[in-house]
Amino acid sequence: MTDNADDLRRWRLPRGRHGLPRELVARSQRERLLAAVVRVTAAKGYEGMSVADILEQAGVGRQSFYELFADKRDCLLAAHDVLVDDLEATVAVALEGPQPWPERVRATLAAVLDWFAANPDATRVTLVELAAIGPIARERFQDSFHRFTTLLDEGLDAPQVPAELPNITSLAAGTALARIYEETVWGRTSDLPKLLPELTFELLVPFVGEDVARSTADGEVT
Amino acid sequence: MQKQGSFDSDRGVLDPTVPLDIGARSQRERIVEAMIEICAEKSFAATTIADIVGRASISRTTFYKHFVDKRACFDATLDLCVNELRSVAGTSHDATDPPAEAVRKGTVAVLELLAAKPALAQVALGEAVTVDPAIVERYRDLLLPALEGRWLSAGESLRGSSDPRIAFGRLQILFFDQLAGGRVKQLPELRPEIVYIAVLPFAGHEEALRQARLAATEMSSDAGD
Repeated sequence: MTDNADDLRRWRLPRGRHGLPRELVARSQRERLLAAVVRVTAAKGYEGMSVADILEQAGVGRQSFYELFADKRDCLLAAHDVLVDDLEATVAVALEGPQPWPERVRATLAAVLDWFAANPDATRVTLVELAAIGPIARERFQDSFHRFTTLLDEGLDAPQVPAELPNITSLAAGTALARIYEETVWGRTSDLPKLLPELTFELLVPFVGEDVARSTADGEVT
Repeated sequence: MQKQGSFDSDRGVLDPTVPLDIGARSQRERIVEAMIEICAEKSFAATTIADIVGRASISRTTFYKHFVDKRACFDATLDLCVNELRSVAGTSHDATDPPAEAVRKGTVAVLELLAAKPALAQVALGEAVTVDPAIVERYRDLLLPALEGRWLSAGESLRGSSDPRIAFGRLQILFFDQLAGGRVKQLPELRPEIVYIAVLPFAGHEEALRQARLAATEMSSDAGD
């Protein structure tokens, strides 16, 4: 069965007829495989998908796959890293700006919710399916999570951290993540941007109290 | 000390002689303890009946007298872990404590138990979710009404405007992060933040901060009672 899929690909995408430099071919194959593993994993789950599924989706041959990745897990992890890089860049851009910090938080959340809503497969894979690959998923989660708390930390002005809550940014990042996770599990990724007022409020409360959090969440610029 | 578990509690209370089931009880306890240790070491998926019977020094036949399979054993183990956590939270404060005080003391006691028993924490908070993702909802349905009930039974109105479900989500991420980083023993260091999260939805930001401050200055261990 897997061999049939392979033959089909070879027939459709004959080797060595595109006249492109080898590295470029490898790069575009890699990109196609990364996109494919995300789609296939979102559709079938990590356990349910196979390298053959990835190859079929990507239109790439088995040999090329194994030149780039050790196995399906390796491929999925590589895709995960690319997605997290992309989200991190989105967050970093949104966090910049001349506005007061609470408003920048709101803008950042808006960007994050839009990112997830625009990438339902990526959302499902990074938040839900990745856990199935085993203990290494925990490490990746940790790394990614701390990249975002670090970004939030760097964006803070010192007086915004209540003395009582030195580890406050973990709470902040967790607020959004837990809710996004829940919506993803329920298959409501596309509705995520609607959560902006609620999540802005919840994220800001520990930093600035309920009143400022409410007015920022409602978009009342003071 | 409190009773070890919830099983077989109807047996032999007034009986001066050794209860007939004492051998069976200790076998069951040994199985459960082995399950906790091995699951924490190598995950539920990798745990085998052979591991459990080996660690518990019992026969395979004895294992199957108590549990139909590995999953049934895990479920019973988890029930015991949850009961232990609830019991520690319940006995950490006085009946007359105001709700926010009671929640603070209960939270600190739970964090200290988790830190003192990292394998239990790993099983109840980490492995349980892997084995059955729906456990998260069960935890939520246990925890949130229990917290809210503190205020309701004290006749106090709820003053928070933060969503309790968000609080639960925050706890979920926080615990997951600590477990993933192998920092279970450091959980008590996060008691200001965790107390804040637990109080915020029910009593508001100012009261939650006040309790966080108290939690930070309190000495470790349940010295309160």
